Amino acid sequence: MHTAEALGPLDPLQRLLYCDDFNTGVNGWGSLIGNYEDRVDAMLPEYMDMRPPMLSNLSMWDAGTSGAIGGSYGLKLATRPKPGRFCVAIKRSTFRSWGPLRVEAIYTFKPEAAALELGETGVRAFGVLLDLQHADGQAAEPLRVMPHVRYLNALDGERVERWQYKSEREPFVDIGTRNKTWSHFHLKSTNWVDIPRGDQRLCYNEIATKHNWYYMRLDFDLATMNFLGFRSNERDLDVTGIEPMQIPAMPNLWSMLNVAFFVESDADTRAFFYLDRVAVSTT
Amino acid sequence: MKQSHTAAIELGTTWEGAFETEPYETAWASEAIFFVRLLDGELAPSTTARVQIAPDGIHWANEGTEITLPTGSDTTTFARVSHFGGWLRLVGELPSGVSLPVIVHLVLKE
Repeated sequence: MHTAEALGPLDPLQRLLYCDDFNTGVNGWGSLIGNYEDRVDAMLPEYMDMRPPMLSNLSMWDAGTSGAIGGSYGLKLATRPKPGRFCVAIKRSTFRSWGPLRVEAIYTFKPEAAALELGETGVRAFGVLLDLQHADGQAAEPLRVMPHVRYLNALDGERVERWQYKSEREPFVDIGTRNKTWSHFHLKSTNWVDIPRGDQRLCYNEIATKHNWYYMRLDFDLATMNFLGFRSNERDLDVTGIEPMQIPAMPNLWSMLNVAFFVESDADTRAFFYLDRVAVSTT
Repeated sequence: MKQSHTAAIELGTTWEGAFETEPYETAWASEAIFFVRLLDGELAPSTTARVQIAPDGIHWANEGTEITLPTGSDTTTFARVSHFGGWLRLVGELPSGVSLPVIVHLVLKE
């Protein structure tokens, strides 16, 4: 597929860094692996629990295959079938200029249709995060900056339907014995804060096997490391003044531009999050 | 050039008693290899796991292929499968009292 065709309903800034529609592979979107030394099971338990994303043609037991919007395949994130479990897909790159950055996605979410019920509270949350660090020499006091936005769909079986952000960082844990490897599970479902007027009811549809696709757009300034905007379908949310998570710069992460999507389960069913396409662009 | 993909579907997971890997979608692929690596411990020879397929990731059936699990630390075994449709997983049961950390790779090719 040509890039112009893959962009479809997206509205990128002037310089397209990448546009992925998942019809020819995972395009760099892989597992979020926890840090470890010596033994792979030294990573934090939340990371041990995650499974890799996969290419899906959205086949349901009743309706068969519907495919994604732009072709047969989308990227699927699937949790394990227990409450509070996560799956994350991350694409890692670096930036070559600092200015406005735009992340756009066409996505949908549902629980696994293992039971003949609506399942509208099976998915606790899904969202997008950036993992950034100032370029070498960009700032007098360089930072690692991690803007997080999620849609809290449900909590403990009750619908919430609200966009949130997270500024507070989770503590770092020293992994191993060499004082070189640290880890933190920054997605932990605590310390999320409501975005002002961030309530939004999305089209969930009427059974668990029917998917409607949505649009999200995150705008972030790599110069000031501040939010510029967040749009969900028809709605622009007010993210001015919202602080992204910040950490003193780390030794090996200069100019990092990582984009990740995540999903968290709220029930004893797998929570699924699908990406039809993703575009990341700058000015 | 053919598409290919390796998924680390279990990464240091501890198997104990009955086990199953999480469902993995494979509709685009025509051939697959399951690799099972035992990180620590020992397992009696001839312990096997079964490959299963499903139309929907929910209702599973034995595909017919079995994989003999590794018996010693840092050893690996594998099983090849083809013509499997949209989903694959591995199921089995370890002997009572046995607990083993494993890495399972699913290697797919168009």
